[in-house]
Amino acid sequence: MPDLPLSNPIMFHPARWKNWNAVVSGKLLGGVIAISSILLLWYVLSIAVKPWVPTPEDTVVAIWKNLLSTSFWGDFWLTLGRVMASFVTASIVGAAIGILIGMNEKAEAFLQPLLALALAVPDPVYIIFAILTFGTGETAGFVALTIAVSPFVSNIVRSSVQARDIGLDEMAKIYRLPKRVFFRQSLVPQLVPALLTAGRFAFALSWKLVVVVESIGQPDGIGASIFHSFRLLRMREVAATAIIFIVVMQLLERGVLGRIEKKLLKWRD
Amino acid sequence: MNTDTRETVLKVVDLGVSYGETPAIAQLDFEVKRGEFVAILGPSGCGKSSMLNVLSGLMAPTRGRVVVDGDELYLPRSKDPRLGYVFQAHRLLPWRTVRQNLEIVLGASDVPRDTWHARIDEILEILHIAEFKDAWPMRLSGGQRQRVSIARAILVDPSYILMDEPLSTLDEVTARSLRQELTGICQRTGATIVFVTHSIREAVYLADRIIILTRGPAQVFENYIVPLERPRDYDDARIAEVEADIVARVQAPWGLETVKERDVA
Repeated sequence: MPDLPLSNPIMFHPARWKNWNAVVSGKLLGGVIAISSILLLWYVLSIAVKPWVPTPEDTVVAIWKNLLSTSFWGDFWLTLGRVMASFVTASIVGAAIGILIGMNEKAEAFLQPLLALALAVPDPVYIIFAILTFGTGETAGFVALTIAVSPFVSNIVRSSVQARDIGLDEMAKIYRLPKRVFFRQSLVPQLVPALLTAGRFAFALSWKLVVVVESIGQPDGIGASIFHSFRLLRMREVAATAIIFIVVMQLLERGVLGRIEKKLLKWRD
Repeated sequence: MNTDTRETVLKVVDLGVSYGETPAIAQLDFEVKRGEFVAILGPSGCGKSSMLNVLSGLMAPTRGRVVVDGDELYLPRSKDPRLGYVFQAHRLLPWRTVRQNLEIVLGASDVPRDTWHARIDEILEILHIAEFKDAWPMRLSGGQRQRVSIARAILVDPSYILMDEPLSTLDEVTARSLRQELTGICQRTGATIVFVTHSIREAVYLADRIIILTRGPAQVFENYIVPLERPRDYDDARIAEVEADIVARVQAPWGLETVKERDVA
């Protein structure tokens, strides 16, 4: 039977279904094997390192209790707000610095050593200094996260700016495109894949660091809740809180950023 | 004696380009008249790319002047001329449709906005790509993309259009078809063309006049008026005769002992 391209309008052609089923069953099988392996490992560890690693059953019960708890959701929304604030700020600041370094040799000469230094500093150092400077309020976490995350965004964006198609720059100059038009119509669209990668990275780093900041220096939020459970040695609650948060963050990353990616890169389809 | 009474669109005077101590263009002096189709012919490395950069406003020359419609191109307060450029590769924005690519260029010109749609439709019609107005460039063939690139160059009603070997990346069948149409398109739109090519036959087929350059650093070796009436046939024996005549002339200045047929065609 001939292979049919996916764009073929004959939706119910047997060959199409055969291919589709093969793709789905391949992906599904891989996913099932991966999750089963993790569950098996978790189960073995819960027996071997009892009582510090909770069993999967106990954790499921704790997850359910958390989902029904209003205090959990209070912490959840607080943490999500902090993640979004630092993610958005770090992405904008990082992208702006990355574009500046990529486009301007003088800016590159000045900022590149600072960027290299910023990338080399361990993240907890930012957090500790921010807490010492601003105290344990919201500002410390926000500043520490922005400073910790934005260099990574800058680095990814800078590489993409420097690898842009110079031919399009020349086209823009010859046709006298205003700088604003060049920026919006030529430069930024070329950076979209890098911006999406940087966004994904910044989001993942932001939520992990927010949890660390909360556990070190905040009285509330998911990180503080995890740390509180840890101090009371309630490991099933630690695992339950972490799992819910991880799942939601993954859904946000794959769902929201995935949709944005699809929309921005539709011209490639 | 020069009997061409058309006004001068482009005047290149004592043009020289050097990169540090290395000269790329020794001296160029030539003029292009309105509506004229001029081919620039030179061997590889003679400085054609440097010349195109200067004529397109991308790079100031080391010496000399470029005057476009009476205005100096490289004086600090000179007004920006409208130029068209057809690159070897199309250089369209792949994330914008054909129409959007053309609108972006129109937006930077002083063409009134209320005439854009009609103008775009007309030019796309002339280039036989009207049905691809809302297509992404990646959906088009190489020939169709190059047609869009030509449309973009014509659209802004430029003083002149620079064409940098625009057919060299196309397959021979597509290149033939576009070559055949190119002179007709230029006649219909009245565009002034400066067409850079390696191919002597292509230059003879397309141009009213061929400016033959020496080996680099470039100088004008000869202003060759193509002695053929239009329309022309690419496979016509007379084109082959003119081509052979030019090949004989360039052997010395290009340092060629023998020119194989394959190199000429």
